[in-house]
Amino acid sequence: MRLPINLLSLTLSILPSVFAVYSDEAYSVDYHHELLGLPLPHTTFFHRPRKEEKATLLYTLSDLGVLGAVNPGLGKVVWRQLLAGIVGNETGFLRPVEGESTVVSAIGSRVDSWDAMSGKEKWGNVFEGAVKDLEVMETAAGAEETKDVLALFEEEGKGILRRLKGESGNVAWEFEDGTSDVPLQVSTNVRSIFIVSLHGAWGGYNLKVTALDPVTGKRTNEYTLSTKADVHSAEDVLLVGANSAAPIVAWTDKTLKNLKVNLLGKAGDLQSLPLKESDGPIINVALHAPNLVQSQPHFLVHTHSSVSNRADVYHIDLASGSIKKAYELPKLPGQGAVSTSSQEANVYFTRHTADEVIIVSSASHAILGRFPLEIESDHGSLLHGVSEVVQRDANTYAVRSALLTSGQDWVLVRNGKDGWVRPEGLSGAVAAEWAEIPESESLAQTLEAEAHSNPLSAYIHRVNRHVSDLQYLPGYLQDLPRRFLSSILPGDIVSPKSGVLVRDTFGFNKLVIIATRRGRVYGLDAGNQGSIVWSASAFEQPAGKTWDVKGIWVEHSKGTTTVRGADGEYVMFNTTSGNKIEAMNPGTWPATTSTVVVDSPSGKWLLPIGVDGNPGEVPTAWAPKENLVVKGSNGEIKGLKFEAGKETAQPVVTWTFKPAIGQRIVNVVSRPAHDPVASIGRVLGDRTVLYKYLNPNIVLVTSVSDEHSTASLYVIDTVSGDILHSISHEGVDTIQPIASVLTENWFAYSLWADLLPTTETLPASKGYQIFVSEMYESDVPNDRGPLGSAANSSSLEPSDIPNAGPALPFVATQSFLIPEAISHMSVTETRQGITTRQLLCTIASNNAIIGIPRTILDPRRPVGRDPTTAEMEEGVFRYQPYIEFDPKLILTHKREVIGVKDVITSPAVLESTSLLFAYGIDIFGTRVAPSAAFDILGKGFNKLSLVGTVLALWVGVVVLAPMVRRKQINGRWMTS
Amino acid sequence: MASAPLPPQWVIDLNSPPAGKPKSAGIPDPPGYTSTATGGKVDTTSPAQFLILTVLQKQQSSSKTAVRAPPTTEEMDVLKLKKAWEVALAPVKQLPMTAIMMYMSGNSLQIFSIMMVGMAFKNPIMGLMATNQAFEKFETPGTKGSLLMVKAVYVAMQILALALGVWKVNGMGLLPTTRSDWLAWETARDPLEVAIPAF
Repeated sequence: MRLPINLLSLTLSILPSVFAVYSDEAYSVDYHHELLGLPLPHTTFFHRPRKEEKATLLYTLSDLGVLGAVNPGLGKVVWRQLLAGIVGNETGFLRPVEGESTVVSAIGSRVDSWDAMSGKEKWGNVFEGAVKDLEVMETAAGAEETKDVLALFEEEGKGILRRLKGESGNVAWEFEDGTSDVPLQVSTNVRSIFIVSLHGAWGGYNLKVTALDPVTGKRTNEYTLSTKADVHSAEDVLLVGANSAAPIVAWTDKTLKNLKVNLLGKAGDLQSLPLKESDGPIINVALHAPNLVQSQPHFLVHTHSSVSNRADVYHIDLASGSIKKAYELPKLPGQGAVSTSSQEANVYFTRHTADEVIIVSSASHAILGRFPLEIESDHGSLLHGVSEVVQRDANTYAVRSALLTSGQDWVLVRNGKDGWVRPEGLSGAVAAEWAEIPESESLAQTLEAEAHSNPLSAYIHRVNRHVSDLQYLPGYLQDLPRRFLSSILPGDIVSPKSGVLVRDTFGFNKLVIIATRRGRVYGLDAGNQGSIVWSASAFEQPAGKTWDVKGIWVEHSKGTTTVRGADGEYVMFNTTSGNKIEAMNPGTWPATTSTVVVDSPSGKWLLPIGVDGNPGEVPTAWAPKENLVVKGSNGEIKGLKFEAGKETAQPVVTWTFKPAIGQRIVNVVSRPAHDPVASIGRVLGDRTVLYKYLNPNIVLVTSVSDEHSTASLYVIDTVSGDILHSISHEGVDTIQPIASVLTENWFAYSLWADLLPTTETLPASKGYQIFVSEMYESDVPNDRGPLGSAANSSSLEPSDIPNAGPALPFVATQSFLIPEAISHMSVTETRQGITTRQLLCTIASNNAIIGIPRTILDPRRPVGRDPTTAEMEEGVFRYQPYIEFDPKLILTHKREVIGVKDVITSPAVLESTSLLFAYGIDIFGTRVAPSAAFDILGKGFNKLSLVGTVLALWVGVVVLAPMVRRKQINGRWMTS
Repeated sequence: MASAPLPPQWVIDLNSPPAGKPKSAGIPDPPGYTSTATGGKVDTTSPAQFLILTVLQKQQSSSKTAVRAPPTTEEMDVLKLKKAWEVALAPVKQLPMTAIMMYMSGNSLQIFSIMMVGMAFKNPIMGLMATNQAFEKFETPGTKGSLLMVKAVYVAMQILALALGVWKVNGMGLLPTTRSDWLAWETARDPLEVAIPAF
């Protein structure tokens, strides 16, 4: 048992240096926007998670496939589940089970039932095909059993309806529609189930309604509704009435003049309701109907013209099946949102317009409550929402509505007053970039001007400047006590001025510019808990389309930020205010596959790379000075060089790297743009030096072969195209994430590999593995490799000998087993590179980001023996094949950061600290100090006691000094 | 015309301190002891005079039976040279002790070993700087020539002690003798070509 004790002591000895987050820094240095995505109108509702309590939660399945429950009082997320797959744009369905603590969701091909209070999964079932609709099967009143779920699937072009048992999710029965009609929706009243499908050919569908027996799932009736070519796609059908007593299917004619309504189950009955134009043609029609089976069969038709909106309320006579207009809500200017709320049989419609909230009952046009809408900040117009109406007493009603605005904020309005705001538009970020807060440039400029002018005028200028600086003195003096207090009092008792963007001495205050998939751009203040400084709409994206951002360039000298998209569009913002400076719409310029900031004789600019990695001709004055490395259309890597002509410079391909046949390149990483190296060698225990291979022109290419389950990694010199190093792994699961990172003189990658009988290269194991390789100029200490003491290095002509091969690095590699898949890798950046880098790994399965210290991932750790004294002096300890993801290493600690797509880092002014920002669905940011915060006092440092001690000593000296002096004089003069 | 007034009593007291207590008659003076009254005033604080005094006393003690002749200049020179050799070789006598202590204190940077190293450097350097002062008292026209040799040995001994300190510092790894000590002045190679990744 000696070994474990040794290991334990070793582990303990390294622990204090590897704490990722100190408990007093958690929640104060890090920030997290817990986001859901934009709520969709048909998957958002209030629901009581506990039958016996009146409190409700707000549930939504967002456009990003995140299922979440929000506390409607505070706006805090109670629980969340990420349901969407990697693609993330499948339509989801979410239904509450009335009277039960359950919500049922369906997305992709899976159906899940969730505990409404805790968010724990009750059951989940995965089928073939894609879910088209989901409905909860209402039982006869008073039935005690769990309500069953109806799920409509489309499998190989055929509609299949499955009734899933409410308590287990098992299939009770299955109905297969033999035809190739497109299944659309399912609806039910207690007596029968209706499947509505699109019948006929593309371009003009008719609607087919199939009625099924709820108990057996057998077809009882089927009829077709002729739409006269009004319905072209599933979106043209406005509503298939949910669990109302009289479910309907409704669509409009092409000209938006009439609404066609069929009461499901009544074959020949097709009623046409005229849509009244108020001013200008109608552009949008929406239907709102209650979802409860016991509610009155009323519905509301909400029509929008370009400048106003109005609504009509219709009643369905259950006995005769006729639909008649009950009353109408008058025209009001601007956009509006109508939501339905039902309480037992009563149905309330809440109408939100730009300046008021009105509650009406579905039964009569009397206004039950009218509240002026007072929202403090501007969120744009109201798009849609859900509301909950409560009858306080006979005549007073209260309403709270969760509304989505055109500014992509989710706002809760309580009786017209704003409750909370969730910036859901932040979710689904696709690109982000750090931006420095612009310094007040004036001082630097005047100093430079003084340096260039003659001494006398510079002196006069300086005196004048100092005199004019005196006007800030009173303000400075006023600020002095606050500054003094804030520097000695612990924590946030004296908070700094908020809302002002200023640089701080430590460099923690930076902006992050984020572009989201929905075409919005945000500016966040990383130094102020990631608060939103500005937001702006760049290019509104159509539903289901993701804005493909190819590059964000923050130009610090001008204070502008340029965002470039894949379709050639770009938009330029002011970095600090978010004001749009200029924009170019998609399609006007050629498509872009990537962008790069290049340095040209005329200054720096953002060069767009077109299809097949071809940047095209550029004017000679704007030709990049450096070579470029681009990706071709078939995944190959190409080196480009601009050959300057008279007026234009042509890109010329200097080399091409193609992986072996059957392999595809999955990942290319380069060293970070800011990658300073403080020490060019690694000092060993005997104080000899292993020189690091520090070539800035290298990339790490990962290519996989799906057929042979292999993964190959190549280190390529990007100037000459030479392969400097290659590794191959067998038995690799190419579907599992393969992440890689390259920095300084080392690279790391992780993959899932299996043990094969043929494996010979590296000691192999089965499972998720992380590989770390360090590159050195030579394997012999104190040797600088083939290049010797040359001060320059050229990749094209590595030595004086003609046609000599490149100076190959010596690579030390070690592999470790890890418990979970790493979906993304990144590395910390510090100002001068003195601090050891930390590997930042995103663990998607755990919704966490972990910082693995370099000391653990050291290829020089001795294998199978204890380290010698020299090795211990070097700081390496015995190799252990398994790296446990210690919770202490997790930078996100208790926070669940879902859907992280990328992690970007930026150096702070403090050398010890690197700023981290993770985006994806959520937004998370923190500060990382890989070698502990050695240049700043921690929060635990008690400045108050230090100041107190100094003061106490001073008081002691002041009191004691006269006493001692008197005693000494007395000692001289008094004999006794 | 009165005579000068008598000085105050305390002046008289000060000028004529009370006589020492009379010795008890039973105890004889130890051999070689000469009362200051007989030997005259000798400043015992000066080492040279003290030496002479001791020599005198020795002679006196031996001249209880026969009166000794005062030492000749040559004899004095020989004596001084002997003494000078002792002074010259004094540092080397401490060396084994210092070496053992240095070995014991280890090579780690601690306050004790740092103090040891500090002393190991300070003493020889101070000694070297005070070479002439150390031999000043032995310097006579007769010894001048041979004292040069003594001084050289003295300097060699001090350098030996200094070498011990250097050895210790080297053992502690404070001497920039390895490649790693000069690493900070080495620079990475400048690449002649730059390629920027654009993917």
